[in-house]
Amino acid sequence: MADEIKIGAYICQGCGIGDRVDTAQMAQVAQRDAKASIAREHEFLCNAEGVKMIQDDIDNEGVNRVAIVACSRRAKTEAFNFQNVAITRGNIREGVIWVRPDTDEARETTQDMADDYTRMAVAECKYIGVPDNSEEAQYNRTIMVVGGGISGMTAATEAAKAGYPVHLIEKTGALGGAAAKSWKRIPQKSPYRDLEDTGVAELISEIEASDKITVHLNSTLTKTSGAPGRFSADITTESGSTTTENFGAIIQASGYSEYDANQLPELGYGKSPNVVTQAELDAMALEANGGPIKTKDGKDINSVAFVQCAGQRSEKEGHLSYCSGHCCMSSVKQAMYFKDQNPAVDTNVIYTDLRMPGAGGEDFYRGGQEKGVTFTKGSVSEVVTSGSELEVKFKDLILNEDTSEKVDLVVLATGQVANSGLNIDEVGQDEPGEWQSNPESILNLSYRQGKDMPQLTKGFNDSHFICFPYETRRTGIYACGPVRRPMDMQQAIEDAAGATMKAIQAVENAGKGRAAHPRAGDLSYPIFRREGCTQCKRCTVECPFGAIDEDEQRFPQFNEARCRRCGTCMGACPVRVISFENYSVDSVGQQLKIVDIPDEFEEKPRILALACENDAYPALDMAAMNKVEYSAFVRIIPIRCLGSTNLIWITDALNSGYDGVVLMGCQKGENYQCHFVRGSEIAHVRMSKVDDTLQSLSLEPERVSVHEVAITDIERAPQIINEMAETIENIGMSPFKF
Amino acid sequence: MADIIATNETILVVGGGISGMTAALEAAEYGKQIILVEKNPSVGGRVSQLYKYFPKLCHPTCGQEINQRRIKANPNIRMMTMTEVTSVSGEEGNYSVTLTSQPRYVNENCTACGDCGDVVEAEFDDDYNYGLGKRKGVYLPHKMAYPQRYVLDPQIVGTPDATKAAEACKYGAIDLDMQEETNTITVGAIIWATGWKPYDANKIQPYGYDRIQNVITSVEFERLSDPHGPTGGKILRPSDGKEAKDIAFIQCAGSRDQNYLKHCSRICCMASLKQTTYVRERYGDEGKASIYYIDIRAIDRIDDFYQKVQADENVHFIKSKVANIVEDKASGNPVLRGVDTEGYNRYENPHELVVLAVGMEPSVPAGDFPVTVKVNEHGFIEQDESNGAIFAAGCSADALDVNRAVQSATASALRAIQVVNRVAGTEG
Amino acid sequence: MSNLNQAMVEKYRNSFLQEVQANVEEGDWVKMCMQCGVCAGSCPMGPYWEHPPQEIFMMIRAGKREEVLSSDSMWMCTSCYNCIARCPRGLPITHIMHGLAHYADRLGLAPKEQPTRKFANKFWDNLTKKGRVNELKLGLALYFMNGFFEGIKVALANQKLGLNMLKAKRMSIAEMFGGHGVKDSNGLHAILKKAREIELAKADEFKG
Repeated sequence: MADEIKIGAYICQGCGIGDRVDTAQMAQVAQRDAKASIAREHEFLCNAEGVKMIQDDIDNEGVNRVAIVACSRRAKTEAFNFQNVAITRGNIREGVIWVRPDTDEARETTQDMADDYTRMAVAECKYIGVPDNSEEAQYNRTIMVVGGGISGMTAATEAAKAGYPVHLIEKTGALGGAAAKSWKRIPQKSPYRDLEDTGVAELISEIEASDKITVHLNSTLTKTSGAPGRFSADITTESGSTTTENFGAIIQASGYSEYDANQLPELGYGKSPNVVTQAELDAMALEANGGPIKTKDGKDINSVAFVQCAGQRSEKEGHLSYCSGHCCMSSVKQAMYFKDQNPAVDTNVIYTDLRMPGAGGEDFYRGGQEKGVTFTKGSVSEVVTSGSELEVKFKDLILNEDTSEKVDLVVLATGQVANSGLNIDEVGQDEPGEWQSNPESILNLSYRQGKDMPQLTKGFNDSHFICFPYETRRTGIYACGPVRRPMDMQQAIEDAAGATMKAIQAVENAGKGRAAHPRAGDLSYPIFRREGCTQCKRCTVECPFGAIDEDEQRFPQFNEARCRRCGTCMGACPVRVISFENYSVDSVGQQLKIVDIPDEFEEKPRILALACENDAYPALDMAAMNKVEYSAFVRIIPIRCLGSTNLIWITDALNSGYDGVVLMGCQKGENYQCHFVRGSEIAHVRMSKVDDTLQSLSLEPERVSVHEVAITDIERAPQIINEMAETIENIGMSPFKF
Repeated sequence: MADIIATNETILVVGGGISGMTAALEAAEYGKQIILVEKNPSVGGRVSQLYKYFPKLCHPTCGQEINQRRIKANPNIRMMTMTEVTSVSGEEGNYSVTLTSQPRYVNENCTACGDCGDVVEAEFDDDYNYGLGKRKGVYLPHKMAYPQRYVLDPQIVGTPDATKAAEACKYGAIDLDMQEETNTITVGAIIWATGWKPYDANKIQPYGYDRIQNVITSVEFERLSDPHGPTGGKILRPSDGKEAKDIAFIQCAGSRDQNYLKHCSRICCMASLKQTTYVRERYGDEGKASIYYIDIRAIDRIDDFYQKVQADENVHFIKSKVANIVEDKASGNPVLRGVDTEGYNRYENPHELVVLAVGMEPSVPAGDFPVTVKVNEHGFIEQDESNGAIFAAGCSADALDVNRAVQSATASALRAIQVVNRVAGTEG
Repeated sequence: MSNLNQAMVEKYRNSFLQEVQANVEEGDWVKMCMQCGVCAGSCPMGPYWEHPPQEIFMMIRAGKREEVLSSDSMWMCTSCYNCIARCPRGLPITHIMHGLAHYADRLGLAPKEQPTRKFANKFWDNLTKKGRVNELKLGLALYFMNGFFEGIKVALANQKLGLNMLKAKRMSIAEMFGGHGVKDSNGLHAILKKAREIELAKADEFKG
């Protein structure tokens, strides 16, 4: 911002603040210590009059940075919503008066806290601006859909219906995927009793009729680069010809492969042609075209056993450990193929838990029973094949006995294996300048961190967040259908619509330079001071979203539209050349530096707490609402993500006389709750090296502690602060007080 | 509220639970104007009453915090609490909707400082805690409530308590003259996300919820386990306030049963598996859980959570729909009777507490929709062309877990956008 | 093996479930059971069942014909209807149990010494004679069902009850001699005869 910085500090006296602390002194501190141009007190800052006072200063006095010294930044956001100025918050209500006792003894330290938070709010103001649109932002409305199965076709038609052009890439020579190889589908409408047509033909004709959808058959992606709003993809046909198209966002609907039933010889697969998978039975049903389904050698089928969880939900070598979700329903569907054609055919489903959920599931189960499909709770041990006769050996779990059944056909409910391409944890990216496309890859991304999307678990490209199912770790690329999670056709259709929503949203946001979830709308972007960079690559490696590439000279390339603004790169950078307009090493560093550090004889230690704004900080707020007290010596600074913590903050704090530093981030590891996926984890690793810093300063290692704090830790978060205060009492004050 | 600006490019979202919030946010972050109406004084819905989510065992408040911040940061969303849709007319791309708002008696001056609550004496059953605790006549629904603004219970209007509350407020935030308000707005599409309610356990006569104190519901158990709940997270049983360490979970309490709800509610198996971890978390090796089930429906990749709980020696699985429960008068223990069908074993098992995994019932009964939509026999809205531009999201559409509800809400946001984009003529 | 039984075995070689569906009253419902076991747990006679209803349904599906039909389990049903009231799938379990018992009896597979069966037969014989139940004769027949001495013992134990019934005119000594009946007992017998003919015709059909 070219204009001169003019900071207004506004100190609220409401909610008891005026009764508990000397706001006049705070106003004085704001101007004298922190150099605010204007400092005003108000008895009720968030009411219309208070807000007007601030707006008047913005309009008439040229105030362009506003420090609201009142309640938590989480409160009263609607009131303190000023346009085109930078706003910071000093938290006196939840951060000071609600966590301190109203006693004479506590008065002085409470005032110290309030003064410091005033200084900090003004100091932060000085180092943040109003982010402007980046020049990098580009607007491209075309959506690329990878995979022409039911998920991909649905995504394509849904995007077209919303008004977006689509390129649909299909590896094989025809659209339809697994659905096209099915005879019927599980019913999607009540009464959920009779089978429905797959809907593939309608979708294909809709696609063919659409002037918005371009289909690329026999095609794969050989290189995908760029970022939301400016993706570029090489689409290569089987014959080797390549076209390059530009896109705004990508939907990955690469589907699943059927589990290789050859790994199930104990179930007779490969030993008899009459032991088939569900997919093979669907192919047989398609061939029968409504007539009686015959065995491969043309014989009548009078009895069928469906073996559920074949090679699934099992820890055995080569088996799938998970449940594929659709197979119970699919077996009922397939049993109906027989029953609808000839009710005299025996169809028995052998299951351990019948998983047919929701309104439709139970109705469909009942529908199967009404048609005479029988169900046996049992676990199959073996399918004996001798000649044309098949004997299914199983333990009947209800009758508690080992038994067997002779049937003409055995159908194995094998699971779905995600077509998620390369596992980038195992297959690294080519060095810059040595690019080669990998035929195993789905996307062939040129991203530094690897050619495909990171896999969450068991090969699926799912999101880890329960509340945010589409938040993959590649901005602007959304997975849907069975590549995201095992699912049936109905779910895949819904899923494709959801992914399409995210894709068109990514396009619009990229066009305006706005961040995607969870900092949706944030206009800031990483600003990089190239001349200071040492090319250490830490930012490239640590970015949880793979946003950063390397250019030919090996400098980081930030790809703003891929960035989620977590600040992990900023925390990683040893030479501090990365910052955001509204968040930087300085915007935090200057806050901690402006805190008044009393000399050691005053016996007022100082603890710096860096608290993740997503979980730890709200937890402390709620602790305050419950009036849980904590040490008056702590100064808490909310940070975007623990991953954004730069070691310099710790070093600076210790150097300037803080007695302890507490870091609070989200849960890491397998069940991570970090909203930036790996931020908390990376910070933990980074902080494990803080001992060196402490050693070089000859300080005790206990002075720095790192914690995982959940938003519900309303007792524990204050306790962590108090424990640090106790630790300091035990080991003594820092010698670095000046 | 005269300043509601809505056009046929606006999307109305009915219901501010996780599905409604998601649908509103996704569409707003795309760039559409949204009106989000919620019947209760704060958004968040059922999930804000849960302690943890399966299978991650993370806290719903965590996602709520993000969603609330997204709302705060987004000028495209106009949120109206204590508001219901009372009528809808018109057609796809041009609906006229009447919204009726109940008086909150607290205006936007409220700072949530709590002074009013301190002086009011009247107490009422706390709905947030399913009646397991009390709240004041002026209250903040819960610590995460958004908007962070108190509510004055209409039951105290006209009593000295109301005057006391008004006098205690230094900021003129209490306005006892507030009246019910009606607004008619125009919108292009409607996302219906009114969610679910727990099935009324009183109707399941053999399980004695109405007469045995130590038989509670799964939603109540969430409140008992939550550190923010009425017991501070201690699992104290209602009859004697003792800690309950041996807990039975009864699946399909009201679900998969033509006497009650015919459908499978999908979430209950995973919810009970999750709740066994609460017992183990609190009591370690002393905590015991028994799950009485028909089928364990831990569907797709989250089956590994079931496998993990199965491996826990202190968690027992009994394949049985419990026949009935009687109370052992001396101990207050409910005694479960039935037959373990795996091999036919009759049991009569006492437990310290019984949790009924109650089913999911659509919040709005089929006949009560203010508009004609296609509703199936279970009360869920079906996707159908005859619904015009009214799209169901989350548990209005089916019994769904949070993850699937959010997915469904995201999909419904797209369908609404398709309509208003057509209206706007921006489909290019 | 009775002729009818043999015929049925021939006809439904592969599927006992289909046999039950076609021949047992309400037998068509058996396939709808989802093995939750609430019937088994709800039965007041539960502990006396060798196989509770849900297990019998599973045995039917598993083709355990002999075991089911010769079982005395379904004879345990006292028609309290608890199971029907609670069954989540609405199976008319009480009726199915009676249907199975009757079918087993018709095939001659029911356990010979099963007391309920014996009682049912005596009741039937008693009732069909005159179209009205002769309480005195039925009572005595039951007392002596298990032998003379057992009969005396039971009769003595129930002496007071019997005297009270006489006093209250719920039973009459005169019943010993003829007893009361419907007005047109010939007509009744004609009806029963016709019904029997229909039954046998059905059975013949199966044989063919």
